[in-house]
Amino acid sequence: MSLEVLQSGAALDTGGYPAFFRFREIGERVVVTSIEGEWIVLTREEFRGFLRGEVDRDGALHQRLVERNLVRESFDARRAAEAYRRRKRFVHYGPNLHLMVVTLRCNETCVYCHASRANLDALHTDMTIETAERAVDLILRTTSPHVTIEFQGGEPLVNFPVVQHIVEYATQRNRGLGKQLEFTMVSNLSLMDETKLAWLLAHRVQLCTSIDGPKSLHDKQRKLPTLSSYDAAEPWIARINAAYREAGLDPTLYHVEALLTTTKETLERWREVVDTYVALGCRALFLRPVDPFGFAEKTRKIVEYPREDYLAYYRRAVDYIIELNHQGVEILERYAAIFLTKILTGDDPNFLDIRSPGGAGIGQLAYNYDGTIYSSDEGRMLGAMGDPTFAIGDVRTSRYRDIVSHPTVRAMAIASNLEGQPDCVDCPYVPYCGTQPEHNHKTLGTMMGRMRESSMCAVHKGIQDFLFEKLATADAATLEILHRWTTIRAREHFVQPVAEGG
Amino acid sequence: MSESLLGMPPARVLADLGEGCVILTVDASMYPQHAVYAAAYCFIARCYVWLDRAEPEAFRVVLTAKQPTDAEGLRALAGEFSNELLASAWRREITRLNRGLIESVTMQAFGGAMGPPSLDDLEAFDFSDEPFDDPLGIAQSWEDKYRKPKPGAETGAETGAAVAAETDPQGGAAT
Repeated sequence: MSLEVLQSGAALDTGGYPAFFRFREIGERVVVTSIEGEWIVLTREEFRGFLRGEVDRDGALHQRLVERNLVRESFDARRAAEAYRRRKRFVHYGPNLHLMVVTLRCNETCVYCHASRANLDALHTDMTIETAERAVDLILRTTSPHVTIEFQGGEPLVNFPVVQHIVEYATQRNRGLGKQLEFTMVSNLSLMDETKLAWLLAHRVQLCTSIDGPKSLHDKQRKLPTLSSYDAAEPWIARINAAYREAGLDPTLYHVEALLTTTKETLERWREVVDTYVALGCRALFLRPVDPFGFAEKTRKIVEYPREDYLAYYRRAVDYIIELNHQGVEILERYAAIFLTKILTGDDPNFLDIRSPGGAGIGQLAYNYDGTIYSSDEGRMLGAMGDPTFAIGDVRTSRYRDIVSHPTVRAMAIASNLEGQPDCVDCPYVPYCGTQPEHNHKTLGTMMGRMRESSMCAVHKGIQDFLFEKLATADAATLEILHRWTTIRAREHFVQPVAEGG
Repeated sequence: MSESLLGMPPARVLADLGEGCVILTVDASMYPQHAVYAAAYCFIARCYVWLDRAEPEAFRVVLTAKQPTDAEGLRALAGEFSNELLASAWRREITRLNRGLIESVTMQAFGGAMGPPSLDDLEAFDFSDEPFDDPLGIAQSWEDKYRKPKPGAETGAETGAAVAAETDPQGGAAT
């Protein structure tokens, strides 16, 4: 019996040996996963034996299959249920990530960003104090004990007084609630000054920035009038990292995080991108493909690319990152870390775009400058492009329970549950994967999407193929590196103190 | 004038370039009506969609592009509709098979996100919401509806008679 026969759907006599499993061929190997996400990579010959039930019951392969709960006669249903429950632990809590667009005004012009910016004279796109307070009141109603408020824009430093007010107001309101409250700001850093920085450091606001690679590429994609946007950001990254060190914080844990947007031009410059991040002191690089949201059709031709080109770029870049790790450089790739955590630890890091059901509305919410609430920042960007599908409330009139149970949120939860998705239900990566209804809606015209046509699915599958290849073939030192990437270290310093008045 | 499209079975897919529409005939024994509705609905932003029965055992789907399009554009619409139709039909079957798991996870997710109602939620709750509305007092007994108010009972504004007097155009005159 060949794999081709199995795939054709012909009757197969398994001898009752395998428990429930899903499989996928990667090169000459076959990835097999159990219902709860245990996994094994087999040779084709081993897989045939597994299918036919022709595995030596006293042999090592049988033992490995039993250990992974893939053998029917020893199948441990309780263990499978516990593991499944553990992976889905995030469903017990409401939104923990709250994105606040405090202004659309921005001093930079990025090739891939139209929906998220306005010119500096567009004062009407600033969030008011009153809107900010109503948003915080809603945010603190979440059932999640962990709350991260992420300031976005536009450029949040343009409306710094409102950022300050939100931090102070939320911290004060949280004193009676005792939630683990954190603040993050995504800034291009070009409007930073020592006074602002001192305030942000004193109030434990984590700082992130955007770096699109080496200076020439970054400046080409992110234009700052009369200045190099890279030169505007780079000294502040060094300054902030130095400030963390001066405060006695572990530099391996506390440093400026940077976000990359991969455009067509990035693809050939993978080595320079990695080197730039290492030189800036970053410990993580997220090789994100460009989003389909928020830019015009003519821009798409400039920045977009086939996903197979992206995957080739991803493989080259991550191989290089692993090579650097062998040389003692500590840097990880974020996609790989997310998937490896799920694959190797059985846990879920609750990355909201890669979970099932997805995090839109029930794991994250986005608050626009005008008080409109969206299921996510992607939903907000679609709103800015004239598609209000994912607008689910208003901070002035909506109640918390109405927002998280909004009909749109319900539809999104169903649409992003992979157990109801064609293709996903047969994919071995379903225990580790996720889809994003906003992405499906934008690219395929339906929240459900069609996975075989989905560029997001292609990326997720391609990355997991690559990781399983590594797990099957890598040497011990490389495996140790990949295991190290799954270690999640909490940044306790950024959690707001709640003791006073508590 | 109808013509076939490259790679599309002419018995199932025809295009009218002059009208900017594509006409698909869907075998009703292969695809449930819900799947046809679901797939067709995905196109209403881009097309005007017309559904009917071409014959007893077939649905006819007419997709007319809202923006001018050429044969390649119509071919893309037909192909995309066919793929969405298959996805809808298959998803429906998968959802049926996995219903327990999907419902369980979804219920947990919403229960977890919403949490128990707060006092504010309870305060805002409309407890006056009756199981059904009965403005004519049809569900009331004749005695309740038309009995004379007891002396001094006029202060009890919520008695059945008082309510009946407000709602009954006869004002309880039957007594």
